[in-house]
Amino acid sequence: MIGSRRSFLKKGLFGGLVLALGGTGLALYPSAQVGAPTGPLFALQPASFQVLVAVASRIVTVAGADPVAIAHGVDEALTRVPPEVQVDFNKLLGLLENALPGLLLDARVQPFTRLSPESRDRVLQGWGASRFEIRRTGYQALRKLCLAAYYSEASSWAPLGYEPPSNLNAGAYDDSKAGTPEWLEAQAKADGP
Amino acid sequence: MTKLATIRSSASVIDGSKQAASLTLEADVCIIGTGAGGAWTAATLAQAGLSVLLVEEGGYYTHADFTMREKDSEPRLFQEGMARATKDGGIAIMQGKAVGGTTVVNWTTSFRTPEDVVEHWKKKHAVGGFQYADLVPHYDAIEKRLSIAKVSYGAMNANNRTLYDGCTKLGWQVDTLKRNVYACLQTGFCHLGCPVNAKRSMLVTLIPDAIDAGAKLIFRARADRLEHEGGEVKMLHATLLDGEGRTPTGQSLTVKAKRFVVSGGAINSPALLLRSGLDSGGLVGRRTFLHPTVGSAAVYDEKVEPFRGAPQSAASHHFAHRGDDMGLFLEAVPWYPALAATAVPGFGASHAENMTLAAHTALHIAIGIDGFHDDVPGGTVTLRPSGAPLIDYPITPRLWSAFRFAQKRLAELQLASGAKRVMTLHEQPIAMTGKVDEAAIDAARWEIGSAPVFTAHQMGGCPMGDDPKTSVVRSEDLRHHTVKNLHVVDGSVFPTSLGVNPQQSIYGLARLMATRLAAAK
Repeated sequence: MIGSRRSFLKKGLFGGLVLALGGTGLALYPSAQVGAPTGPLFALQPASFQVLVAVASRIVTVAGADPVAIAHGVDEALTRVPPEVQVDFNKLLGLLENALPGLLLDARVQPFTRLSPESRDRVLQGWGASRFEIRRTGYQALRKLCLAAYYSEASSWAPLGYEPPSNLNAGAYDDSKAGTPEWLEAQAKADGP
Repeated sequence: MTKLATIRSSASVIDGSKQAASLTLEADVCIIGTGAGGAWTAATLAQAGLSVLLVEEGGYYTHADFTMREKDSEPRLFQEGMARATKDGGIAIMQGKAVGGTTVVNWTTSFRTPEDVVEHWKKKHAVGGFQYADLVPHYDAIEKRLSIAKVSYGAMNANNRTLYDGCTKLGWQVDTLKRNVYACLQTGFCHLGCPVNAKRSMLVTLIPDAIDAGAKLIFRARADRLEHEGGEVKMLHATLLDGEGRTPTGQSLTVKAKRFVVSGGAINSPALLLRSGLDSGGLVGRRTFLHPTVGSAAVYDEKVEPFRGAPQSAASHHFAHRGDDMGLFLEAVPWYPALAATAVPGFGASHAENMTLAAHTALHIAIGIDGFHDDVPGGTVTLRPSGAPLIDYPITPRLWSAFRFAQKRLAELQLASGAKRVMTLHEQPIAMTGKVDEAAIDAARWEIGSAPVFTAHQMGGCPMGDDPKTSVVRSEDLRHHTVKNLHVVDGSVFPTSLGVNPQQSIYGLARLMATRLAAAK
């Protein structure tokens, strides 16, 4: 019990330290601009948005997918979460971008936005399989938000064989008592013998 | 009989986002939350002649807003836009947020609370205020009011039928389940709000009943704090939010009432009590149960299309009682593109390729029955600096061990039902053909961020009971032990999880307790 408590503390402290490094903005090389926003940002810092575009470009590689649109979709989704989570998400993107923790843990000197597509994939796979919980959960958050943003658009559905119906609302029951025994009895009476 | 289309624009309903000035409202009873607990309490008390005000943080959406598109519904109808998760990111939390609460987006599965669970509460958690027999007439009435009826074998979609057939082949207990629908068109979109009002959610039944009986409702009003003094709540302070519920409008709501009922659900109710300085000596927010759930995907030769037809129509409780190990029950879950995309592991080309198999893929789940063993104590709700709830649910080795067991049984039933390939949902998935690879499942990375866990059922955090040292509200009437005009009526009062989908358990308890309150008024 004491052992597991201590290892939890160690993990927790390490996670905090790494997140703090991500927030410092210390960088060996400047970040690259990979895709300008096409509208206002709500939860993401401009620098975070760039990292997210670079992430989205590798999470969804289907022909025609637009990483800038995906990043805007994620930004919109983040308006629904508490302010503390928004701050953490910006820090997470800083951590992914930042070369300093990259240098310490992975011998990587380039910021994420300057990496080749293959190198971005390697970094993302590394996070997904990392021994550090904060990297695995960070990767999952990035992955899921990008995928949800892309696949909630109708333009992505054809390869899935997914064609939901539209406009069924006209057939809706407009009565709060529909289906109750009294209602059924009243219906039967109204229909007549 | 109220025409549903007219309610939202009636004089009884106030849109908090449209108020140009702060408001003060008065009522005999102020009910915070309009889901399974709040709606039933409101209708019962209003019908007894009390003036009732319902306060809801979410929006008032109706069937006309339910477009069967994830993009329109998931951000608006779920807490935190369906992105809520536990503190360490280990468990994704699906919980509704709207007029009607989670009943607007649930999958219509309706179970009475198992009798042995009520007995367990009596023995282990000093719940002596009612007997199982007291609930029965309420369950009967609820089943009539909400058209709750059992699904026939032939009405199941392929996703549920594979679960049913797999269990039958293996000799495991399985049955079709009951749903609260009337003349269901089998659109398959319960999760995004029923487009045709076939689902008898609180939005289209008990909320209208309450309004018909004179209740008033204000939405886009977030309950911040109960002001109390001398063991009595004096008023509720709430913040009015914009039309999307994102930001405060700058106006506020104050409610003065003789009685306050907190029905915000098992995460938001404890958070409101904590923000109000009512922590019951540290009990509030502890013992929060999530029915933590793991899933397994199975590819069949024929199309499965889990997005068509009733999302849930079969359940197996074969493994609900496992002695010293946590019990589990098995069900099927629907998917829609965004939901499926987040469940399929990986990214890039391999992810896109797996997505093309989606129409042939069934998704079955094992739901952990937490709270019945001393070392499965659930999680805790505390407050973030902003006042929003923070859910911490450590996944202990005991739970991981139950999930390993669950993963093997899910694979077993999927293969028995004819799946040609079974895949776990790990970031590095285990794929199986022909037979279950128990060694590979044991060796998989069972850890946060590698093995996804989710919850669609939240319970506990304000437990009922007759001992103030172990409970927050009395079990005879769900009244707070020390604050005499405050009640909690929702899933947060359950002292353990339920072992069944919760909606009808909440309806039953709310109807029983509201009937008692109405008689005592």
